[in-house]
Amino acid sequence: MSKPATDQYFQGKDLVSMRDLSRDEILYILEVAQRFENDKQPRLAGKILANLFFEPSTRTRLSFHAAMARLGGTTLGFADAAITSVSKGESLVDTIRVVENYCDIIVIRHKLEGAARLAAEISQRPVINGGDGANQHPTQTLLDLYTIQKLHGRIEGLRVAFLGDLRYSRTVHSLIETLARFGCDLVLVSPPQLRLPTDLLDDMANIGVRCREEFDPSILPEDVDILYTTRIQKERFPDQLEYERVKSTYRVDRRALEIYDRTVTIMHPLPRVNEIAMDLDDYAGSAYFKQVENGVTVRKALLTLLVGAS
Amino acid sequence: MTRELSDVEMRTIKVSALERGTVIDHLRGGTGLRVLSVLGLKEDEAIALGLNLESKKLGTKDLIKIENRELSQEEVNKIALLSPEATLSIIRDYKVIAKFQPELSEVLIGLIRCSNPSCIGNHEPIRSEFRVVHRRPLRVRCRYCERATNGERLELC
Repeated sequence: MSKPATDQYFQGKDLVSMRDLSRDEILYILEVAQRFENDKQPRLAGKILANLFFEPSTRTRLSFHAAMARLGGTTLGFADAAITSVSKGESLVDTIRVVENYCDIIVIRHKLEGAARLAAEISQRPVINGGDGANQHPTQTLLDLYTIQKLHGRIEGLRVAFLGDLRYSRTVHSLIETLARFGCDLVLVSPPQLRLPTDLLDDMANIGVRCREEFDPSILPEDVDILYTTRIQKERFPDQLEYERVKSTYRVDRRALEIYDRTVTIMHPLPRVNEIAMDLDDYAGSAYFKQVENGVTVRKALLTLLVGAS
Repeated sequence: MTRELSDVEMRTIKVSALERGTVIDHLRGGTGLRVLSVLGLKEDEAIALGLNLESKKLGTKDLIKIENRELSQEEVNKIALLSPEATLSIIRDYKVIAKFQPELSEVLIGLIRCSNPSCIGNHEPIRSEFRVVHRRPLRVRCRYCERATNGERLELC
C-alpha cells in the first residue's frame, strides 16, 4: 500500500477489500469523488461494465448501472444467478473467464466470502467487490466515508455508534475497521445475539482500538456524532425463530432523539424495515438518502479510476 | 575417518543417534503422531518416535528422529503450526550442523483449511492461502474470506 500521486495510479487495479487500501488511497478516492459531483463528461463512452449479481441487490446494482450510464458507458450482467450457467453447475472461475471477454470492468456480488478476491485473481479486467457474504462491501464503505466527510468536514476522531445487526452486516464489518484506522471512537450497540463477531473484535484489539459494547439497542448512546443504523437481516439468520426474537429490538424516531441537544447524523445502508421511523426523513441529521445519492458519485469515480479514463 | 560398529552399537545408534537426518525435539506432548502423519513417510526412511517423554521445559514432550531427511520449508511450516516450541536439529555424520526453532513463512499456501464454511475456498477448487498477522500467539488471516483465526483453532489440510 502506498500513496497515490495521480489518478493513473488506480488504473487496472481491483477494489476487493478496504484492508487493501491505505488511508492515503482512501482520501485520494474521496477527493476524486468530489470532482465527480457535477462532472457530466462521457468518460466511459464505449466501455462496458459487467454487473454480476449472484445474490439479490437493488441499490448497489442499480447504483453501478446509473453511474455507468452517467459516464456514457453501458452495462450487461444478471441480477439472479438462477438464470445463468451457474445454475447448470458452472464454477465461478469459469464464469469470470467467460465474462471478462465481454467487458472492461466487473462488479461482483456473491453470497460466499472471498468470491470477489478469487474473481480478481482470475480476471484480466479490474474487479470491484459489490459485497461478498458477511465480509466486505468496500464501495458502500467509501460512499459512507464520503457522506461523513461531506457532513462533518472530516472523518478523524468522530464518535460513531453502530446499531442493530453487527454480526451479519458486511456494511458494518467493512466500515468499522476503516473508521478505527481513522481514530474514530466506536460504540457497538446490538442485542447480544447480534454482537460483532469475536474475530473482528480481536482484530480491533490487535490494532489497539477499544470499542465500547452495549447490549440494549433500545437505549441510544448519548456521546456520539453519528448513529449508523442497520436492518436486522432476516435472510442471514440460519434460525428464523432467533430472527423473530430480535427483529424489533430497536427503532429510532423523533422522540428517541430528544435526548440529544444537537443534531446527530443518522445513517443507514438501506433498505430499512422499521428501525428508522418515517418521521425522521425530514430530520436535519438524516443522511440515508444522501448516502444513496453519494453512492452514484463515488461509484462514478471508482469506475473511471479503475478503467483508467479520468 | 570411520570405524566398524558392532551390532549392539548399530542397534543403539538407530534409536539414539542419527548418521544423517533430522531430529524434531520438544514437540508439545500429544502432537508427535500428528506431526508424523503430516510429514508423510518414504520407503527408505527409518523413523524413531518417542511419545510423552519427560521434559523440564514442557512437562511432557514428543520426539521424532527421521533418517536421511532434511525438511522442506513447507514441512517446517507444518511443524511450526502444530508445535511452535519444537526444536529441529539437522544431523550430518552424527553431528548437529544446525539447530533451530521452526519459523513460519509470512504466507502459508495450501497448508490450512479455512474454518469458515462460507469461504469461497471451501467451494471452489483453489489452494488455501493464509497470511500470518501475529506470530506469538499465532494469528493468521484467510486471503479469501479475510477471517482471522487463532493458532489453536487451525486445521491443517
